[in-house]
Amino acid sequence: MNVEEALKEAMASRVAAVQAPPSMGQRIRRRNRRNVVRFRTAGAALLTVAVAGAVPVYLSTTSGPAPAQVGAPVPGASQPVGEDSALAGNVVPDVVGMTNDVAGVLKAAGFEVGWKKVVNHEHRPGTIIAQTPAAGTVAPEGARVEVTIATSAPPPTDQTSEPVDDGLPQDLGDLGDGRTFGGIHLDYLPDGLEWGKWSGKDGFGKTSYATSWVEPGKSTGEYSVEAVVYRGKAARTRRDHVDGTPVKIRGKDGYLGSFTEGGEVAGSSAETTLTLVWFPRADVTVELMFSPVFAQKLGSDAADAEIQKIAEGVTVKD
Amino acid sequence: MTEEDEAAFDEFLAARSTALLRTAVLVCGASPHDAEDLVQSALEKVYRHWPRIRRDNPEAYARRVVVNAAISRARRRRVIQEITFASPPDTPVESPDLGLRELLLAELGRLPARMRAVLVLRYWEDMSEAETAASLGCSIGTVKSQAARGLARIRARLATLEGASA
Repeated sequence: MNVEEALKEAMASRVAAVQAPPSMGQRIRRRNRRNVVRFRTAGAALLTVAVAGAVPVYLSTTSGPAPAQVGAPVPGASQPVGEDSALAGNVVPDVVGMTNDVAGVLKAAGFEVGWKKVVNHEHRPGTIIAQTPAAGTVAPEGARVEVTIATSAPPPTDQTSEPVDDGLPQDLGDLGDGRTFGGIHLDYLPDGLEWGKWSGKDGFGKTSYATSWVEPGKSTGEYSVEAVVYRGKAARTRRDHVDGTPVKIRGKDGYLGSFTEGGEVAGSSAETTLTLVWFPRADVTVELMFSPVFAQKLGSDAADAEIQKIAEGVTVKD
Repeated sequence: MTEEDEAAFDEFLAARSTALLRTAVLVCGASPHDAEDLVQSALEKVYRHWPRIRRDNPEAYARRVVVNAAISRARRRRVIQEITFASPPDTPVESPDLGLRELLLAELGRLPARMRAVLVLRYWEDMSEAETAASLGCSIGTVKSQAARGLARIRARLATLEGASA
């Protein structure tokens, strides 16, 4: 068999139905305008600072007609900004109706996200049904955009258990410190980590939940520690694909190893992800991963010890 | 940007955006929806520099931007995409060919992002080794070795699977 040909055919079949939408040009231009507005606003602010800084020097070294000349650059400075001159921030994107990657879209536009859940049976659980400030308005960079998610069940009264089963497809909402999610709780995390403000549902098979913790100040998308909880069928499926060195976690079977991007066991290095998978219960599989950067920072032996220490501190809730 | 530039950009999109989107889907293994977002943001860069690059092979420039964005995305989300790519183990195989396709795509998804990009550009886009090297910003030797290793790995895995089912 000719693998090249077969591969080509397989790739063609996978993307045969993929079509760029006709609106792409429009969306690219909108994105571009958004960036230009941001740039202009920043530029105007810099100019203002420069002019303000120049004024006292100018006044102190000249006399007479100085004020007129000092005033002159100001209209000049705001001129290129035009109608944007009143803006002092970024345009809030429209996320109403979205179910996926809401946080990603808002972060990309320079905003923080605040989550609010409202019981609403007209929309699919997990759909964003409202946002403040509204789309198209301008808010300062880093401002918080409150989004309201439709949910099918009222929030549980028990504050410690996260409502992961009410159907938030992508984000599990605000997890606080992130230590309680997917029906597990982590008692221990290495020092200096905070919740990565990212969580996913069903990304690793149905009834799987994932989140991550980061060292403060890391750019978006990087993680230090990631955890995935597989429940039900997903737990058994994951169980069938384990590799690595057998270990015991609270007396239960687990496997520890450093994996390449291709999923092969290899030594600890800048290219591998330290991964621990174990089975605290027949219907629960938990997976912990250390990013290559984080594992290298700790050193291979310490990383092995830390990842097992986190695992020992995991309790499964119902 | 003149009106003529704008019109040329629209023409460029009409001709090339689907191909770029497909390449992104294959390289990063994301859903078409996610890949669309990635391609849009890459093409926004192209749009920003359009008057300057439009006469100087904009397609190669656009592909380079898209492929690089897809590789970084795939790396960042390695674990997630590895699993989205893998077919569910208990899905019945409808026909031998379909099963082979799924297997090939699953194996493709397990390769490191850059190696996968080499295979996508070489065998799906039908690019020469030199073109692939230019797109990825690496040497022709790297393209050759990555392609050979990628194919060898896929062959080996297929052989194991065939052996196991026989």
